[in-house]
Formats: sequence, C-alpha cells, structure tokens
Amino acid sequence: MKIYLALTIVSLKMYFRNRQALFWALFFPLLIMIIFGIMNFDGYNAPEVGVHDAAQNDASRTLIQALRGGDNEVLDVSTGTNEEIQYELKFSGSRAAIVIPENYGVEGELAVIEVTYDQRFMQERAVVSTVIDQATDALFKEFAEVPTEFRVENSVSINESFIEGQGQGFKAWLIPGISAMAIMQTGLFTVVFTLVRFKSQGVLRRLKATPIGASHFLAGQLTTKAIVVVLQTYVLVIVGAIVLGVSVGNGRIGAWFDLTILALLGGALFIAMGLAVSGWAKNEETAAPVANIISMPMMFLSGVFFPLSVMPDWLTRWSQYLPLTYLADGMRAITVEGASITTLGSELLGLSIWIIVVFIVATKMFRWE
Amino acid sequence: MTTSPGTVIVAKDLRKKYDDITAVNGISFEVRRGEVFGMLGPNGAGKTTTIEILEGMRDADSGDAIINGINVKEDANAVKAIIGVQLQQNAFFDNLKLAEIIDLYARLYRAKVDPVKILARVGLDHRKNSKYAELSGGQKQRLSIAVALVNDPVILFLDEPTTGLDPQARRQLWALVKKIQAEGSTIMLTTHYMEEAEELCDRIAVIENGEIIALDTPDALIDQLLATGFKPEKRVREATLDDVFLNLTGRDLRD
Repeated sequence: MKIYLALTIVSLKMYFRNRQALFWALFFPLLIMIIFGIMNFDGYNAPEVGVHDAAQNDASRTLIQALRGGDNEVLDVSTGTNEEIQYELKFSGSRAAIVIPENYGVEGELAVIEVTYDQRFMQERAVVSTVIDQATDALFKEFAEVPTEFRVENSVSINESFIEGQGQGFKAWLIPGISAMAIMQTGLFTVVFTLVRFKSQGVLRRLKATPIGASHFLAGQLTTKAIVVVLQTYVLVIVGAIVLGVSVGNGRIGAWFDLTILALLGGALFIAMGLAVSGWAKNEETAAPVANIISMPMMFLSGVFFPLSVMPDWLTRWSQYLPLTYLADGMRAITVEGASITTLGSELLGLSIWIIVVFIVATKMFRWE
Repeated sequence: MTTSPGTVIVAKDLRKKYDDITAVNGISFEVRRGEVFGMLGPNGAGKTTTIEILEGMRDADSGDAIINGINVKEDANAVKAIIGVQLQQNAFFDNLKLAEIIDLYARLYRAKVDPVKILARVGLDHRKNSKYAELSGGQKQRLSIAVALVNDPVILFLDEPTTGLDPQARRQLWALVKKIQAEGSTIMLTTHYMEEAEELCDRIAVIENGEIIALDTPDALIDQLLATGFKPEKRVREATLDDVFLNLTGRDLRD
C-alpha cells in the first residue's frame, strides 16, 4: 500500500510536469467551452442590412438609429454608398439594401425610401420591412412636430423591389476560412515541429559547422513550406468547391492569382510565426503548447467556423485585428464575393503590418541551439 | 603571425568564459601536419569548447586560433571550408537516405563528390539507401565521419568519436581513424578513454579546468610518471577484460 501510494505520487508529479498533457487536459477544453459559451447561437440574430443615407440630416440619422434598435439590436446596420450596399446584397451576407432619399425629413415633401431585398430570404424581408414601417411612422411624426390632427400619413413612402442574390450561403462561406486556417496550421506547426526537432537534435549546429551554413538551409526549409501552403490552398479550395458545389470568385480566373498572393502573404506571416516560436523554444515539449496557445484562439475568433457576427461586440472589436481574421476575410472576399485583390486595402495592410512585426520578433528570438 | 612549417593548428592563449564559468583558461599548443593529436580530460574540462573555437563554431574571448595559416577570428568560413567536423552530438535527417545526406553536405561545401565513394571510405557503401534512423550507434558515428570527409579536409576534428560505442565498434573506428591518417590527413580528437589515446594519438594534451596540465607523446608521459617512482596498484596482466570480451564476442563488427 505504501509503495502504491509513493508510486502514485511520483506518477502525479510526472504528469503535472508534462505541460503538453496539461494543455490538452485543461486549456483546450476550457477554451472551447468559453468561446462557444460567449457565442450567441440561440438568441435572435439581427439580419444584416446596408443603408445608403443620401439625406445626411438629423432626421435620417435618427432613422438609422431607430433601425438599429436600442439596447437590443434589431437590424445589423452598416452604412455605405449605394453601390456598396447593393453589392453586399447581391454577393455577400446582406439581406436588404435601404436607400434614404435626399428629401427625407424635408417638410412638405414626399420621401420615397427604396428598399431592395434578396428574394431568397423572405423571412428576413418580413423582419426588415416591419422594422422600417415602425421606425418611419413613429420618427417622421415626431420629427415633423406637427399636431396629431394635421399629420400627413404618407409623407414617407416605401418602395420595395427584389433581386436574386448571388451569395452562396454558409457552404461557400466556409471554404476560404478553413483554407486560411490550414495556412496558419501548416505555417506554424510544420515549421515549429521540424525546426525544433532539428535544433534539439543538433542538426542545425552541425550545419553551422559548414561554410555555407545553416541560414541557406533554413531558407530552403521555409521556401518548401511556402510552396506547400500555396498548393494546399489550391487543393482545399478546388475540392471544397467541387464537393460543396459552389463557385470560386464567381468564375473569375484572376481570383486564382489573387488567392495565390494572399496564400503567400499568409504563408509568410505564419511561417515567420513558426520561426519565432521555434527560435525561442528549446524542445518540442515547450514549443507545442505555445504554438497551440497562439493558433487555437485565432481558430475560433477569426471567423473561420462561424461569422464574427455571432460574437459579442467587445470581442470582435479585438478579434478583427487578428492575423487570421485578415487572411480569412481577404480570401473570403475573393472566393465568395468575387472581389479583386486591389480592393482589399484593409486586409492587405493588416497582413503586411503583422508580417513586419512577426519577422522582427522572429529575428530577435531565433537561436541556433 | 608566423607558423613553423608543417604546423597546421596553432592555438595561442585561448580564453573563453560562460557567465562566471571559465571554460578555457589560456590554452596554447601546436598540431603538426599528419599527426593525430589528442585532447584528454574529464567531462567539463574545456575540451569541447577548445575544439569548437578551432572549428569556428564559437568565438574565443581572447587569443588566436590559426588553422592552416588562416586566423579563425578573421575568416571563420574559410576555415570551415578546409576542415572536417564531427561534433559530440551528431544528428542527421531521419528521412533522408545516407547517400542523400552526403550529397546535401557536399553541396554545403560546394564540393562535387560521389556519395558512394565517400560512404565506402567508412565502410557504409552497402547502406547507401538506408535511412539515418536505421543505423546502429557505430554506423552513425562512421556516417558522421563520412560527412566530415566530403570536402577532403586538411584537418579532421573528432569530438569524442567513440563515446557510447561497444568494443567492436570502437576498434573499427580506431582502424578508420588510422586509415584516414595514413591517407594524409591531420586529425585532432578529444576522448576520455585512455586506451583510445594510447592507441591512436601521436601526441596528447591533458586538459583540466580549462588549462593544459601535460603535453607530450603517450610513451613520454608514461615514462615521466614511472620516473617519479609510480607503481600501479594492481599487477599488470598480459590481457584486459576488454580482450576477454572481444575474444568471446569476436573482433569483427556485425553489420
């Protein structure tokens, strides 16, 4: 009995000193629990609508506020030019495009609000049209400050039209995000595991004893990973599109070129991240949890498996700046929304800044032995 | 810096500190062309640090290391190009074949070699399509010597080449070292096996706490000790347990 107890204590010691086992036993399940717990899966999901405000006056601003709802969001409103909101409706997740005319709120004039819906989503249309009716009715009366007996009921009228949207739903949405995640996994994990093994085995030291040396070898290793990242992206997007039956970039051939550029940028970023981790870590045991701690939150907070809209605002305020968010958003814009890489200003800027930061960190952290 | 003709390694007052530990504390010696020079000493005496300074793998805090007329401090890569290196801890790529490993290292020296010929020099040509992970301990050491030979080095550095090997493999490695010496190379090795030093080395330096405490031929060192009136505790017998083991299990390596 005494021996049994002593051996159990020794075994417990060994277990708690094994960081990798602890990571999988505790950190990972807790992370999943917390992340899925704060997602709003069972509540009401406000439909996305785009608003173009041509009036730009107090009345129109009050109307937009009313469409948003108060503390309880009723519509997920984003504003933009008419072209932008129509594009979003046609190709993206937006369910209605609302144009507020210039003469909205101008006394004595009849303002016609143009609302376009995607005819495939009639449930959302019902919600949106009810909200618009209520908001315009209440607000216009209040703003006009006319006594009840003189109110003109039709100072605002609503003109509805319908289009057939090209947005391909969740299946098409999923493919670029998962491909972006795969770029992260390949970049980070294959670099970390090969380099840390080479380092702990002394392979890198032996290479340093040659005149051409380890840096050339390292460059070759990293180039290999970059090639793998690009090929893997092609395979995932092609197989995904065939199996799930969706189109890529609305059939635009240039989309593949754009995807290649994004895959290379993402590859450079996550390979550098892998370099930083493997430069710092002495062995696999310390490297693996660190690589997981970096990649896991991004996997769930960057809009890979589900849209950022199901997450609370305080979280998306931060997660929109994650490297994987930029990559996934960029790849999604190209494959799902048919965008061209030249229109992806913020994604390219975000990725570039991350690449520079991570490369600086990697060069500072890297140790050969 | 002038070096006497026939001298290929000159170490002059080398010093190296790690934090507050002095690993090498003023080491000077010369190695002549064509000899096997041994560095002996207990673990942590400073052998590996000294050899790594000579190889250009580590910078000395002060002092000079001249390899074949080139100062390591001034052009470490030129030194690396003319020496062959076997590190104490050697590892190669698990999923490459031996011939591919030789080819990869030859490229890192910009050398054109026939991998099979190099492998034949260490008796591994029949394993050219094997992976590194499939080799025995002795074969792994021989492969690391083969890798060290890809650039036809002027000097071969071997850091504890026989540590962890069984008696047969050790003897085979000794034969290999003698063969390489006979082919014209200068060899510098470290060891903490005295019989290895006696068997292989033309001259040895005994090193302790980062300093050389004796430097001469093995015979001269033994004679000096005997001259002090030293008597071994045990009566010297004609054979050792090593001989018994080799006699029972055979002298030949089975691979």
